[in-house]
Amino acid sequence: MRIVIIGNGVAGMEAALAVREREPSWEISLISEESDHFFSRTALMWVFSGQMSHRDIEPLERDAYTRLGFRRVRARATCIDTAKRLVSLAGGLDPVPYDRLLIASGSRPRSGPWPGSDARGVGHFVTLQDLAWYEDEVHGGSSRAGGPPRPDAHLPVSASDSPYRFREVAAERRGRLARQPAIIGGGLIGIEAVEVAVTAGLRPRFFIREEWFWPIALDPRESQWIADRMSHHGVDVHLEHEVEMLEADSDGNVTAVRTNEGRYEADCVVIAIGVMPNTSWLAGSAIELDERGGGVVVDESLKTSAADVFAAGDCASVRWFDGTRRPEQLWYTARDQGRVAGRRLLGDSPRYERGAWYNSAKLMDIEYTTAGLVNWNLDGEKSWFFEERGTVRSTTRVVVQQDRVVGFNMLGRRWDHSVLIRWIEEQRSLDWVLAHLNDAAFDTELVPPLRISGA
Amino acid sequence: MQRSTPSSFRRYAFREHEVDQQGQNGLLTTYREGWRNRSILGLTISLLLVTFYVVLYWEHKVQEQFGVAPLTAFSESVGLRNRWYLYGFLYSVAMIAGAIYYLRRHGNSRYNRYRITVNVAIQIALGFTLPFVMPLFGGKELYFSYFWPLKYDYLYPQTLADVPLYFALYTVVGSLLAAPVLAVLYGKRWYCSWVCGCGGLANTFGDPWRHLTSKSTKSWRFEQLSIHLVLLIAIGTTFLIGLDWLIGSEHPTFHRIVSGNDWKDWSIKSFYGFAVGSILAGVIGTGLYPIFGPRVWCRNFCPMAAVLGWIQKVGRYRIKVKPGMCISCGNCSTYCEMGIDVRSYAQADQSFTRASCVGCGMCAHMCPRGVLKLENSWDRPEDKERQRLSVVDF
Repeated sequence: MRIVIIGNGVAGMEAALAVREREPSWEISLISEESDHFFSRTALMWVFSGQMSHRDIEPLERDAYTRLGFRRVRARATCIDTAKRLVSLAGGLDPVPYDRLLIASGSRPRSGPWPGSDARGVGHFVTLQDLAWYEDEVHGGSSRAGGPPRPDAHLPVSASDSPYRFREVAAERRGRLARQPAIIGGGLIGIEAVEVAVTAGLRPRFFIREEWFWPIALDPRESQWIADRMSHHGVDVHLEHEVEMLEADSDGNVTAVRTNEGRYEADCVVIAIGVMPNTSWLAGSAIELDERGGGVVVDESLKTSAADVFAAGDCASVRWFDGTRRPEQLWYTARDQGRVAGRRLLGDSPRYERGAWYNSAKLMDIEYTTAGLVNWNLDGEKSWFFEERGTVRSTTRVVVQQDRVVGFNMLGRRWDHSVLIRWIEEQRSLDWVLAHLNDAAFDTELVPPLRISGA
Repeated sequence: MQRSTPSSFRRYAFREHEVDQQGQNGLLTTYREGWRNRSILGLTISLLLVTFYVVLYWEHKVQEQFGVAPLTAFSESVGLRNRWYLYGFLYSVAMIAGAIYYLRRHGNSRYNRYRITVNVAIQIALGFTLPFVMPLFGGKELYFSYFWPLKYDYLYPQTLADVPLYFALYTVVGSLLAAPVLAVLYGKRWYCSWVCGCGGLANTFGDPWRHLTSKSTKSWRFEQLSIHLVLLIAIGTTFLIGLDWLIGSEHPTFHRIVSGNDWKDWSIKSFYGFAVGSILAGVIGTGLYPIFGPRVWCRNFCPMAAVLGWIQKVGRYRIKVKPGMCISCGNCSTYCEMGIDVRSYAQADQSFTRASCVGCGMCAHMCPRGVLKLENSWDRPEDKERQRLSVVDF
């Protein structure tokens, strides 16, 4: 049996591991344009700052491909011939035949819709190649102070629209490192790009279109705390700024961001306005793509419109609990979908069932945990909010619908989301939850428990 | 064209801990600081440390060769009795300086703050003040913070006969009863990360290099082999010396082989002191901090760590993993000074106890998603069993 997996991110690798665990002799090929080794995309920011090395963010030892018998194909897939069961590769390489195929090509950063978005010195912070570019602009090279750039970072055959292509560096052209970075887009990738610029000793500008930072997850009170921390660390937070264009000098290097509020100088711009399924390379293949967003349409068991072809991770458009169809762009869902896809590749017929929603993040130095339905504007929903300001600082928000707790939004402290989810499933009341809240605490030892006063 | 990275010493550093935060406060710049990554400067520091230990342990050889005993001469010139007092003083200074370095980075978390403070306080009080003070009262240099088998000569019958009765009792009860019982209740961390001087130096002075400990499977295999080998040798040596004490006077050849007639003789006792006490604990264990990380001795050679590790496996201590929340970033594994690939357990949702874990708490501290928690609990004994982890075990 020949298994081919396009993409060696978490979805592809989880599927490959699941197959290998049961079938030691099947031929498994992993095609990747981005890198030779599976790495944790969520950890790019720490490589930038120097907190971790490239090797450190790889969950498997480097001999894993050999040890597990995975064939590594470092190439750009260009098309799938579903009739002949072949994956074509760029650069004149032989096509790869498959018996069962998994598309796990992930996301690509959404390009800026504004004039000047393609200027030199403008980029993203999603792929390994983005990391290399951003490091070049800000640090003049990768971490390990002055070490050579990551040798496997770029592939010569990458097309000009590939998220994994080599990007020219404005700092090199100018002969001067970036001094005034600007980050556009108030989400998780945006705040990461901001935070690493702070670590490099810079004062980045952070342009956010919305009224407050990250409105899909935080309410104004919660967001205010994050904004305070950003300002405290030397970030210029610009809320309610609609970007209009990016200006460049005669040499093509970016010089400024122009918004509805004015002109702001910038010599390095990171556009972080979201990601979209990395599926444009499938345009000529007989595989159904979602009209609205471009994800690979899959059924509840992650099968695509073509026989023996499955999709998992950020590139797959799945049915959500509310009936809509869109991709789930989270590490956790990519991992879970990869595991389900692995069983599909083995010939099982499992269903992918998204459990209760949960997520976590670290916003500057504040840890964030959420579980259940928090920002869904449910009928008759109410929020119970508590702000702790003692030796520990935290906020606790419990969302209640018809006397039943349906969601939690927690900042500052550590919580076991699996306990919170159990309470939601048990349809606990607010009073009950507040009385038992510390049973879900996951704080480190010696941290005093949360005391809710006046509740 | 390179930006010189502002040292995290100045930047993130314990700047203002107006509130307790559990996780790492701000990003670290570890890999952008060459001296922490085996640069020429880092290797030079290592060379200096090795040189220092070689001179410290074999000063008589240095004197034979060059006609000077630099450390003794310096010690006497500043009024210290011998070079070991100078060593004790430098050790304390290095620990205090390292503790400041560590707390500026990681002191926002209570566990780190309490642990380092207690460890340094114990070293200064028990490790180095007592030996200075006791000779004034005609006593011997006794370290209350060390036990057998780490302090291998504390259970030699001759030692027990020589020291005051209270200390003999302390060391026997401490080594054979108190240390194991505490390890059952709290894991080996009560000793390795809160009390021990070797661990204390590693966690303070050695902290800048903690990411250098190898996480490879090979290094894990080596550790399992080497640490148990040293433990066997330690037990064997103690046994033979006990036997020698009983029958040595009737068997002069046996006595000569085991203990030697003169301290300069090569014997099993002096070989153990040379190979384990000087080479492994001193020269390699501390001298190579900037190359192999700060826990080379504790991880690969310390016989006490081997014993406590076994006990830890059946005791209450474990690292609890919050299910499904790991993003496999690798901060935990990177900053594990014992070379445990914590991530492999976290991403498999597997709470665990590893024999080598010294409970420094840095994995939980570095985790950006709060996935890990150190705890003592009898719940879920199945966590103690070796689970099959796909990424580790295939």
